[in-house]
Amino acid sequence: MTSGRDQSRSPGSGASKAAGSWLAAMLLPLLVLAGLASLGAGVRTVSPVEIWQAVTAYDPANPLHVTVIDIRLPRLWAGLVAGGALGLAGSIMQALTRNPLADPGLLGVGSGAAFAVVFGSLLLGASDSGLLSMLAFPGAAIASAAVFALGGGLRGDVGPVRLTLAGAALHALLLSLVSAVVLVRSDALDILRFWVAGSLSEAGQRPLLPMTIVAVLAAGLALAMAPVLETLSLGSGLSRGLGTRLWQAQGGALLAVTLLMGAAVAIAGPIGFLGLMVPPLARRFSGHRLGIELVASAMIGAIILLVADTAGRLILPPGEVRAGVMTAVIGGPVFVLIARRMRQGASA
Amino acid sequence: MRGFIILGLGLVLAVVFSLMIGDVWITPAKLWQGLLTGQGPGSLTLRVIRGPRVATALGAGAALGLAGAIFQTLFRNPLAAPDVMGFNAGAGLAVLLAISFGWALPMPVVAALGGLLAAVLVAALAHKPGHPASGMVLILVGLGFGFTASAIASFISVSLPVSEASEAQRWLTGSLAARNWGHAAEVWILATVLSIALAALLPAFKLIELGNDLATGLGLRVDAARWSIIAVGVLLATAAVAVSGPVPFVALMAAPLGIGLTRAREPGARFAAAALSGALVMVLADLAARAAIPGVQLPIGVMTGILGAPYLLWRLSREMERGEL
Repeated sequence: MTSGRDQSRSPGSGASKAAGSWLAAMLLPLLVLAGLASLGAGVRTVSPVEIWQAVTAYDPANPLHVTVIDIRLPRLWAGLVAGGALGLAGSIMQALTRNPLADPGLLGVGSGAAFAVVFGSLLLGASDSGLLSMLAFPGAAIASAAVFALGGGLRGDVGPVRLTLAGAALHALLLSLVSAVVLVRSDALDILRFWVAGSLSEAGQRPLLPMTIVAVLAAGLALAMAPVLETLSLGSGLSRGLGTRLWQAQGGALLAVTLLMGAAVAIAGPIGFLGLMVPPLARRFSGHRLGIELVASAMIGAIILLVADTAGRLILPPGEVRAGVMTAVIGGPVFVLIARRMRQGASA
Repeated sequence: MRGFIILGLGLVLAVVFSLMIGDVWITPAKLWQGLLTGQGPGSLTLRVIRGPRVATALGAGAALGLAGAIFQTLFRNPLAAPDVMGFNAGAGLAVLLAISFGWALPMPVVAALGGLLAAVLVAALAHKPGHPASGMVLILVGLGFGFTASAIASFISVSLPVSEASEAQRWLTGSLAARNWGHAAEVWILATVLSIALAALLPAFKLIELGNDLATGLGLRVDAARWSIIAVGVLLATAAVAVSGPVPFVALMAAPLGIGLTRAREPGARFAAAALSGALVMVLADLAARAAIPGVQLPIGVMTGILGAPYLLWRLSREMERGEL
């Protein structure tokens, strides 16, 4: 399945400097716009001027200021970190497996993290707190190891079809287990909804700061691994020459995926399809340079998640469509489109 | 033959246990008394509480098992099942749409339309002129279609009033709660009619199994026959979805289980085995969903997810060892 990735990479498509300025010119304004929309839109619309006032001259008596600072700002923060982490994790996973359908959110890594958290809270009888959210990391680690083992392992080329199907099965299993555990603890459908399809609406109660630190560290790790991982996409013959460095890079990349997914789930619950949609978009900016693709993926992931969250708030008032459902509605057709193209590699 | 006896006995036992076990235990003696006299707690359980639920599970499970056997044989792929390929999710979405828009159509009709539309869409999306669609592409496209359909279903469920939340849950994950004899009759009648249609198509099915070229040479209109069989399979699956929601993995698991137990070779016998084991899986899963955790009624879809996903994983690893994946 090298063809899928290579097709989108036109060799020599400009220097990395040009790509960098493209990113800044195209993605930064979009990100700012998405952020403003996230702060401004909702049941009460807040204008950019009022947002500015709320930030610079906060007045606790003004309900608009309270809405912006106490409710929507954590939500924006959560969207930036979780969206960035999910997009980044998708790009790493696709580079690692050379599979355009590999999204850690659909392969069971995200639902593994969610299951660990809800199962932990069942065992300890505690409600989900910041400390309990740390369970998301071992959950994500076990799930990503399991999906690799089930999908054919790191023993060379992981066939795209079997990895995707094994991941889908693992994801279905873990989501069923999440439903069972949550239904045991309470029949509050709201809690169930959060852990089955994530949302940014809980942002105020989630451990934003520690998870942000973890996500940033993991992003740094991923960027450090990027040059070696890049050679993976050139074919196993070339990458075999790298020997131990390749193993280190693969291990580091898996660790980064685990940390990023754990952080994203601890903040926003399991959200699928970002890791599927974001990398192809990011490759339009990056060409065949993985380092730039990773940066672009983080930005695009944050943009899409913020837009999905904002749209979910507005689309069916007075109800709110969770961000995880919004990304699935957009991402499902993308999955079909990519699967359609997998003709040649399908027997691998 | 021994396999069929085991399956049949298992089914009888599963039904009896299913009627006995629940929040209130009903002994077989009380059940028997209720059956004979129409009086007492046994009778109430049979007539109102657990009887219709078990009957619905039997009919829906048999229909799903048959549907799974049809697709798995036709596509020569153990992963080709209406639930994996998104047809069940399509039918569930159609029902949810009908509820939220207040369409005055009977549920089985809505589910059938949704399932057929899903099948046509998946086939069309997986098709590319000049390239014969491989079974794996069909399955992946179907998987993505299923993701999309269930996402849209959760999207719509937001707009339903809170009072309908449990009903929405049924159409998202599958549930057998609050089923009455009307539901049981509905799925039984549809499954019977469709089984007769399948029996009529059996000669054509046997020819297709010999290979398309041979079948054409023997005078069969292969495409017409294939599409009729596919339609019967989709309708069987949607008949089940109309009463129980898109319960996952029963269609996937039932046929290999039944055929493995009975070692049936002949298509008719294989279908019978798949129907029996589908019913068995459904009744047992419903029992487990009710009884696994005291005081908690899990939706059956959650239980078949927990049972069926490991089966799918095991199946994948076996296909892999055989080098077929």
